[in-house]
Amino acid sequence: MLESQCTWTHSPPPTMSRPLSFLLNNPSSPFPRTFPLRQLFINSTRSLTPAAAPIFRRPSLMAALSTVSVPHPDKDATAAVTPNSSQTQHPLQVAKRLEKFKTTIFTQMSMLAIKHGAINLGQGFPNFDGPDFVKEAAIQAIKDGKNQYARGFGVPDCNAAIAERFKKDTGLVVDPDKEITVTSGCTEAIAATMLGLINPGDEVIVFAPFYDSYEATLSMAGAQVKSITLRPPDFAVPLDEFKSAISKNTRAVLINTPHNPTGKMFTREELDTIASLCIENDVLVFSDEVYDKLAFEADHISMASLPGMYERTVTLNSLGKTFSLTGWKIGWAIAPPHLTWGVRQAHSYLTFATSTPMQSAAAVALRAPDSYYE
Amino acid sequence: MEKKLSRVANTFTPSPIQELSHLAQRCNAINLAEGFPDFPAAPAIKSAAVSAINSDFNQYRHVQGICELLARNAKEMYGLEVDPDTDIAICCGQTEAFAAAMFAIIDPGDEVVLFDPCYETYEGCIQLAGGIPVYVALEPPHWTLDAEKFMSSFTGRTKAVILNSPQNPTGKVFTWNELEIIAEACRSRDCLAVTDEVYEHITYDNVKHVTLSLLPGMQQRTIITSSVSKTFGVTGWRIGWAIANPILASAIRNIHVKLTDSAPAPFQEAALTALSSGPDYFESLRRDYESKRDYSIQLLTGIGFQIRFKPQGSFFLFAELPESSPLSDVGASLALTDPKTKVAFLTLIIPCLLVLMVQVEYVKHLIEQAGVVAVPGRGFFHFNSVSSESEESLSACHDYQKRYIRFAFCKSSATLEAAAQGLSVLVDTKGCLNLPPPSKTDT
Repeated sequence: MLESQCTWTHSPPPTMSRPLSFLLNNPSSPFPRTFPLRQLFINSTRSLTPAAAPIFRRPSLMAALSTVSVPHPDKDATAAVTPNSSQTQHPLQVAKRLEKFKTTIFTQMSMLAIKHGAINLGQGFPNFDGPDFVKEAAIQAIKDGKNQYARGFGVPDCNAAIAERFKKDTGLVVDPDKEITVTSGCTEAIAATMLGLINPGDEVIVFAPFYDSYEATLSMAGAQVKSITLRPPDFAVPLDEFKSAISKNTRAVLINTPHNPTGKMFTREELDTIASLCIENDVLVFSDEVYDKLAFEADHISMASLPGMYERTVTLNSLGKTFSLTGWKIGWAIAPPHLTWGVRQAHSYLTFATSTPMQSAAAVALRAPDSYYE
Repeated sequence: MEKKLSRVANTFTPSPIQELSHLAQRCNAINLAEGFPDFPAAPAIKSAAVSAINSDFNQYRHVQGICELLARNAKEMYGLEVDPDTDIAICCGQTEAFAAAMFAIIDPGDEVVLFDPCYETYEGCIQLAGGIPVYVALEPPHWTLDAEKFMSSFTGRTKAVILNSPQNPTGKVFTWNELEIIAEACRSRDCLAVTDEVYEHITYDNVKHVTLSLLPGMQQRTIITSSVSKTFGVTGWRIGWAIANPILASAIRNIHVKLTDSAPAPFQEAALTALSSGPDYFESLRRDYESKRDYSIQLLTGIGFQIRFKPQGSFFLFAELPESSPLSDVGASLALTDPKTKVAFLTLIIPCLLVLMVQVEYVKHLIEQAGVVAVPGRGFFHFNSVSSESEESLSACHDYQKRYIRFAFCKSSATLEAAAQGLSVLVDTKGCLNLPPPSKTDT
């Protein structure tokens, strides 16, 4: 089922033998509003009764087989009846790239969950909400009239807060106006990075299993995808395979740490090896670190902080996961100016600007004291 | 490492309109450049957003109620039958709806026909999707559509036509006859149409916006894009949509999910309140903007700008620079009572903004000296317009492209009055507008 332009390593995609290990034992316990962040990460729709049997997503299989065609649960997608009905059947009218763009498995599972009254542990949003101080900031911004177009690449204060946070987390000092782009969620940061920095035919290495939007946006950018499968049971990076896969023809490597769906964190050794090979072959790194604040045992290491890496790395992150405000769609890309340029261009044609009041609130959130993150 | 940029990213330049806006902000100038209001949005809508945040509508969300309301409004306002379950994709603003539509229908090499002048962002989007923009010039001074010129722009590779009506920057509302010309071309060539209808509720003089989808044979081949931004004065909320037949809508929705995943949740909730507004809201919106339009026209014509085409929609005035002639008494008699005398009015006569650095420096120089900013019209024109073939008409075409300035009048009365005040400063003792001569450098 996998498209021919995506080449896989020798081993087949792993199948999960048991559900993700960090699920809560008792899905029915109510969660206090100030749910400490270091506890688990459970996804559940608000209105469902706990008594129903949970549906466990098989993320690795699903992500790996993201191009599998699944029947659309909605009614059959035939066009409206018109006199020239033969034309309306035309799948030729839609772009060829759409083979990658079926209704996501998340949407389908979420809909099934609602239909059967199940607890939704599928899609990655919490059923507890964001902290009050952040919500208050957004409300105040709306009342203060901050409801018009923001500066395309971000409200200045939001960019500044992101830079401050990044410095605290990685020690790196970045220019908020030249090296940070605020986007509608990390999803858009990924899309803008791919479309702004990847040419059709460029080779990009990804580690499987991977989040479904990667393949879609890589496909939109026309990339040649080389997929390297992480090795169960601990999902280690097969460094030898990586060494033989990367070459001077590689444009970029995409990493996601902490990793969705496995929860793996790339180790220092793995990052060092990837880094040195990228430097040697002049390869970019796109580092999706959206779960960086949800690291439990090991410390999160940002690829951009490794020696020689900042100049070739785009670091992607968002507010949503850390602050349980996934619906606010505030994400960002941090990269040196020459790479930021490409990201900003694509971003300006994808969404033009990001929601203004939420950016003001994001600035407040990102300046939260460290105790919030514990 | 500049070679690491994609080919497409390398060809893009930053938005001149946004740059001018930022400059206006930094110099504390009056911003008549960017198309957003400087008066507050309706309290009910803001309250709805606040309430949504407090009620914890803060996670990924698709608010189906928006689709129900859009379908209802389409039926009541336009007589269009839309299925809320299959025909609508909610996106992060009309921008994203348009981007997703482009990625949904454009393959590399596909041609897309656009009208000239037009909003700056369409071209970038089309190119990002690998498409080739083909421009058809609307005829000044009334921006009429020449059917023959239009039809001759179609080739075997034409995939779609882009229609923005009411139009930015001219304020033109395409007539039924013009829509029929477009429809006939789409039907006969089996092409798609993508419309940008963000100004759909801002029309004047009893001119009604007609959606292209209504024309025979068009609903199945048209993607409508629009948003809450202009209608409800919340351009920073990023709530928009695409409406199309189920196959196209589904494609757009799937792409949107991969681009941004969802539109901001609390604002989707607030959109429910906005879209439930009754006819009174839209009536008063029209009336308010109409009076601002009339004020601005009087203002500018009073000092010698030519406005041969009165905007029928949107909140932009595309004014022609005055001929070098003395101003009439009408201008001199404008009552200028606003006490804000700090700012002086600036008129920008700027050559092609595509030659970025020179013109931006010039613009900066003028803005820093005065205090009001508008947008040079050159940024809305494109040089590969399919227009007349003779040498002299080509150069005549290019000449007119240098002569327009776009003013946004979606501003409070106080702002417009302050601009009026500044106007008087620029008028010299003979009653002529004292403007720097146009630059000789041209591309």
